[in-house]
Amino acid sequence: MNQRDLELLSSYLDGQLKPSDSARLEARLSTEPNLRAVLDDLRSARGLLRQLPLRKAPRNFTLTPKMVGKNPPLPRTYPAFRFVSALATLLLFVTLGFNFLAPQMASQAPAFGMGGGGAPDVYSAQAPAATEAPAATEAPAAAEAPAAAAEMAPMSTETLSAEDAARNAVETPVEKNGVTEEPGVLSQGQAPIQNAQPVPAEAPRPVPPVWQFGLAGVALLSALIMLWMRQMSINRWRRK
Amino acid sequence: MDEQALIHQAQAGDLDAFNTLILHYQDSVYNTALRILGDEDLAADATQEAFISAFKSISSFRGGSFKAWLMRTVTNACYDELRRQKRRPTTPLEPDTDDGEEMDSPRWLADPNMTPDQKAEADELEHALQHCLNNLPVEFKSVVVMADIQGMDYTEVAFAVRVPLGTIKSRLARARLRLRECLQGFEELLPASFRLEEGTSI
Repeated sequence: MNQRDLELLSSYLDGQLKPSDSARLEARLSTEPNLRAVLDDLRSARGLLRQLPLRKAPRNFTLTPKMVGKNPPLPRTYPAFRFVSALATLLLFVTLGFNFLAPQMASQAPAFGMGGGGAPDVYSAQAPAATEAPAATEAPAAAEAPAAAAEMAPMSTETLSAEDAARNAVETPVEKNGVTEEPGVLSQGQAPIQNAQPVPAEAPRPVPPVWQFGLAGVALLSALIMLWMRQMSINRWRRK
Repeated sequence: MDEQALIHQAQAGDLDAFNTLILHYQDSVYNTALRILGDEDLAADATQEAFISAFKSISSFRGGSFKAWLMRTVTNACYDELRRQKRRPTTPLEPDTDDGEEMDSPRWLADPNMTPDQKAEADELEHALQHCLNNLPVEFKSVVVMADIQGMDYTEVAFAVRVPLGTIKSRLARARLRLRECLQGFEELLPASFRLEEGTSI
């Protein structure tokens, strides 16, 4: 029995031969008892295998999320909150950076424009601190010499306010002497000069702080909602 | 059971949908593993591994016979188990008696729905068939189990074991012939209709 005939017989048994091949094989089977015997053997083997009982599974093989290392399914809105939170956080940092840099850029502009004037130099050196200091404490000092400041330290840009000019006047004694008071002499309730950090009441802030509070709130709220969603999903997942 | 819908849901990560598919196919998958490995515990382990693997890779299922795809997974799990067995000492497939002799009719193949006599005969025949299956090369065994025990067609078997159709035909023919030769040694166990006539030669 060659391999080719064996395959033909096996395929014939399963009805896998083309009609023409099947007819040829049947003709041979009628004349070749050996071939017929092998066909019977193959049929017998197949029949015995088909009689094998199908055993019932000894247990259910259903999977648990833990078995497949599956994360709890999150609600469909979860990615939206994630996007909102990320966007709000990004915008918050952008606006913070913008607000921080804008006054510096504004103060550098007059320094270059004054061509070596004294007052702008003083201002520009103190500008960063001025943005951080509370404005309320400096208000009296600023109010003392608005005219002198306006006269002695003309600003090349419009970003400096009257309070800035007043501070300049206080810190440049030669210029102030004839106008109000001696250097180092403080009026009642005024903070020491070295501690005075005058801040423009109308500091250039391209983005209002309320926006930043809003963005921070949105980012925080979204993060909290995401946390809650995740926790709820984990709880549901564990109950399964 | 809407199989396609369940498959789509499972592909979207729905474990419940996949578990419904498992409940439908677990007997077939387990029996395939049992006949390839010849051991209930190993077959159960391979079945579980196959389903875990199937869920993790269900996104790769691109249609066609889901049963054949599952059979490919369980066949791979069985091959892995057989490779592991080669690397470590194996336990005998036929359990021993207290005296250390092999049990002729092991209880682990018993079917509780038969009378004692029927059970004894069936046990003997099933044991003989499993013995002959165990003697086949694994690539023959997987083909004959899927084609003749699971009733899968050639195309499905070819998909499951990833070999060409011609190879399936060849392996199946040779596997059947080897089984028949092996079963000649258990002639007295075979039903009369399956006994070889005297003088038959292959």
